[in-house]
Parts: sequence; structure tokens; C-alpha cells
Amino acid sequence: MIRIENLTKSFTSKTGKGLKKETVTVNAVNSVSFECKPGRIFSLLGPNGAGKTTTLRMIAGIIKPTSGTAVVDNIAIAKGNNEVKKRIGFLTGSTGLYERLNPDETLDFIGKIYQLPIKEYQERKEYLFEKLGINEFRKKRLGQMSTGMKQKVSIARTLIHDPEVLIFDEPTSGLDVITADSIIDLIRESKDNNKTVIFSSHIMSEVDLLCDDLAIISKGSIIYNDSFETFKKEMTAPNLTQEFINRVKQA
Amino acid sequence: MRDLLIIVKKELTELLRDKKTIINSIVLPTLLIPILMFGGFKVSKMIQESNQQKTIKIGLLNAPEDFKQLVAKDTLHEVTIFEENQDFKSLINSGDIQTALVFSSDWSTKMDSLETSEVLVHRNGTKDNINSRVSKLLDAYSDKLKTNRIATLNIPVEKMNPMVQTFVEVSEQKELIGKRIGGFIPYIFILTMWGGCLLAAIDLVTGEKERKTIETTLSLPVSKFSVLMGKAIVASILGFVPALLNLIGLIVGLNFIEGIPDNFKMALTEMLNPQSIVMILLLLIPFSLFLSGLIIALVAGATSFKEAQSKASPIIILIIIPLVMALMPGIEFTWSTVFIPVLNIGLGVKEIMAGTVNIAMYIAMLVSLIAFAVAAIYFSYKKFSDESAILS
Repeated sequence: MIRIENLTKSFTSKTGKGLKKETVTVNAVNSVSFECKPGRIFSLLGPNGAGKTTTLRMIAGIIKPTSGTAVVDNIAIAKGNNEVKKRIGFLTGSTGLYERLNPDETLDFIGKIYQLPIKEYQERKEYLFEKLGINEFRKKRLGQMSTGMKQKVSIARTLIHDPEVLIFDEPTSGLDVITADSIIDLIRESKDNNKTVIFSSHIMSEVDLLCDDLAIISKGSIIYNDSFETFKKEMTAPNLTQEFINRVKQA
Repeated sequence: MRDLLIIVKKELTELLRDKKTIINSIVLPTLLIPILMFGGFKVSKMIQESNQQKTIKIGLLNAPEDFKQLVAKDTLHEVTIFEENQDFKSLINSGDIQTALVFSSDWSTKMDSLETSEVLVHRNGTKDNINSRVSKLLDAYSDKLKTNRIATLNIPVEKMNPMVQTFVEVSEQKELIGKRIGGFIPYIFILTMWGGCLLAAIDLVTGEKERKTIETTLSLPVSKFSVLMGKAIVASILGFVPALLNLIGLIVGLNFIEGIPDNFKMALTEMLNPQSIVMILLLLIPFSLFLSGLIIALVAGATSFKEAQSKASPIIILIIIPLVMALMPGIEFTWSTVFIPVLNIGLGVKEIMAGTVNIAMYIAMLVSLIAFAVAAIYFSYKKFSDESAILS
């Protein structure tokens, strides 16, 4: 489970030329609160620059919040940064793979960092490689792979330690329908296994397919937060995309 | 510690799969000194031989007969006898002659009356080979004239040589050569060390940002300090190894390259004994960590390889200036220079190689280098922890 309360992140930058410099503070995320429950898929939607990635980075312990709290699997991120990280599988557009390693070496490195028991790790790796069709290129360097192949390995990297909480930011971006389908299938499987899943995408058909709960973030603040069922009931636009656009524009 | 080792192993594996790293950190440093030594000796020998084979076009005016015969003895001289004064500058510039020797018109009279006369040498100061060979010719002729005069005046030769200088060398050959060439050794391996650290640190920090893997690494349950230390250690290994390979290349070169003067070879072999090698390498460990920490701190905010290079490259000036100072006469390894990074290595290595290093000063230098390394790592950790810089 993830519980976020009044999470805020401010960035300070210096502007101006020469000696006349001014310090400007911008709130990238402003007092955001929401809750993601186990066994449900929570969709965090928002236009580019809305504060989505910053929020997800704070939950994953990559950056520290300026104020507010986030509790992941009963551990406050302020208290146990590495303990939180152990419980999270984090995949975004900016979590690339080590291009000079192959999938086997990449997962070996990740497995060692997570201190997974060898037998359990091997079984999990073989399962994921089989499920995602990685076996045929498991010895090929990642730098020589297509986007689809890399994304499959990224998914395996995210799931190798069987985390309680999964964060997927546009996991199917740039993939063909078959690869995208196998990833959607894995996300569903995670939900069935009672994992807490945060899923973010610009592809509304995928949101429609997977989402249980929904939050829309715009200009650093949450403008909608409820179940997806309620959202659909309240829709005034003919489709999800239009409804999303209307709500962001009205905010 | 466990996490640190896993990160070091992974970073090393990645870097050693990059051709650029292999060439810059392993192949080039190993071959650099043997190539410089072999090439240096071969090329200077070849130049010397080829210079001796070159014809010199000499113009003579008013030259006495015995000088003409002396010039003619060397078949490589192409002599032009002038009967009257010429525009020798134009003749030399056009290449008709390369030098002109103009004897005074009353040369024979002056010589007969045992007076001093003048030879005007028209020459291009940049043509070293021609000028040195002509000088030798004139010196030989002058010596001949002196001997003739001494004989004419019937003076015993010893009366013309009131003093003979004999030098008794009290320093060992090792000390002499160590002080003279010891400064060049750190010059070479500190520069290769800098190159190795720079490439590795940029690849490990800015390269990770460019390849979008920094966020992947930071999402793992390891402390930022372990990640930073892993990178700093690997960058310093990639700086230390080229310096080590430089030394190995030097030792191998000394044993297998022909044409190195024996006294030079013996002194250098004696200087590079296990004790001095260990002492030099011990200095290089904290120094490579210091360089890595400094470079990581400088490039932490860079978003591209090019930007990182432009941020870190000016530091080379801070390395070259002390190294050049270490080569200057009068700058010694003292308690006032022992704490200045780079300069202390340049001077210290000279003393180590000459076998005259003061152990207390050596320990002080080592401790100061460790302190600088710790400070650089702390500084780089501060920069690496800056979220907006590292995730930009």
C-alpha cells in the first residue's frame, strides 16, 4: 500500500546575469495526497510537466520531498529510504538499462544488490525471461537491442525482486502491440498477486483496460482523485481522452 | 562494503567493454614510454646520421690556401670561391650557398705578424647542422694556427696550458640521473593518469546521465555514497592502471630496446628498484582518488559528454604548472613544497628515484595526499547528492 499526504517538492534555482542573481523557488509538486491499495491498479494521469515524474521519484526514494509524508508498505520514506526501495519496482522513461551488459548480467547485478537468495533469484529470472520472451537474446548486449527488447528487459529488471509496490510510468511507450500486450498481461498478473500498482500512461485505451483508481495531476496539484468507476460515471465528454483534456483545461 | 564491491565490479565490467577505455587506459599507456624511448633514440640517431651525410654549400672570400685545403678534405663540402664581396644574405636565402666565410683582406699579413684577424661568418641561425659543422671547421683551423704560432715562438706546450681541470663526481650516477630525469617520469604518468580518470569519471557520471541509467542506479537500495564511491574507485583504478602500465612499459623498454646508452640504462634500472616503485605507487593511489573525486564533482551537473569535458579540461593547467615547476632548477622537495599536490609528487618522485628522499617528508606527503583525496571525495559526494544537478 502507498499513502501520500501533503507531499510537496520545491526546486530552487538561481537566475540572472553577473552579480545580480535571484533565487527562484518553484513547487513542482504541491501538497499532493492520495492512496493506492494492494490488489488495485492506481492510474496517475497528467500532461507533460504536471509533476507526475517528480511525485513518482519521491515515492521511489530517488528524491527527497520538501515536506509531507509518503508511506510505502508501512515504511515512511523519510525513515527508511533503502527499505522502501527494496519494496518498490520502479520503471519510467528515464530508467534506462546498462547498454554494455547483457540481460543476464543486468539481472545478476540487480539480484545481488537486492540480496536475493540464489535459488529464488534464478527461478524468478527464468520465469520472467520465459514470460517476456527474453531467452533468445539474453546474451546480447543491451546497446545492440531494439526498443521493444530493451523494454522487456526493463520490465524483468523491475519485477525481479517480486516487489510489493510497482510503479510503471508509460511502460508500453514505443512498443508494438504484441510486446505491449505481454507487458499489460504482467501488470494484470501483479494486481492478481495483490501487489500495489501505480500505472501512468498517455494511452487512454490502456488506462481503460487496467485502471481501478484514478488521480489526475495538473500544475503540481491533484485535480481529481477517485475510483475509475466514479470517473466514468461522471464523464461528460464522449471519450476518456476528451474528458481528461477538459478536466485539465478547467483546472 | 558488499554493495560497494558489487557496484565497482559492474562499473568496471561496463567500462572495460568500451573500446575507448581499452585504448586510452591500457593500450596507449603500455606502449607510450617504449615508443617514446625507442622512437626518441632511433630518431635522434637517424637525424644525426643523416645530418652527417648532408652536403654543405660554403662560400669563401679571401680564404687562405691552407683553409681551402682543410675545407676540401671533406668531400661533402661544396665550395664556391668568390673573388669579390657579394650580397651573401641574398645568396644564402636563395639557396646558392648555405653559409659564407669572409676572411679579412689582410689575413696573411696579420697572420704573419702574429696578430688577430677577423672571419665574418654569414649564416642562418636556425640551421643548426650547418652552423655546428662550420664552427667545428673554424675551431680546427684556429687550433692549427695556434699550434703553428706556439711552434714558431718556440714556447713549450705546457706553458700555454697553466691549468687542467679534472672533475671528481661525488654523487652516485643514480642520484645524478635521478635528479635530472626523475622529473620527467611523473610528468608522463600523471598526465596519463589524468587522462584515464577524466574519461572514466565522465563516462560513469555524465555517460550514465546520457544513457539514462543514473535514475535506474539511484532507484536501487544502495546509498548514494556507495554509488559515488563505486564510481570514484573505478575512475581512480582507470587512472592508476595507466600510470602503472607506464612504469611497466619503462622497465620493459629498458630491458628490450637496443640503442639506449649503457650508463643511462644502468642508472635507470637501479633507480627503478622494488622499493622506489612501491613508494611511487603508494603516492599514486590517493592521488588518483583525489583526481577522480575532483573530476566527478566538476562534471556532476553536466548533461553531455562535451559539456563535461569543457568543465573538467581546464584543470589540466593546474596539473601542468606544478609539474613544470618541479622540473625547474632551484625548486626542491622541502617542508614548504611537501604539502602542495602535484608539485610534491613531481619533486618527491625525483628524490625517490635519486635515492635521497627524506622518509619523514615522504610520509607527510602521503598523508597530505590522503587528506586531499578525502576532501575531493567529500566534495564530489556533496555535488552527487544535489538532486537537480544529478537528475538534470
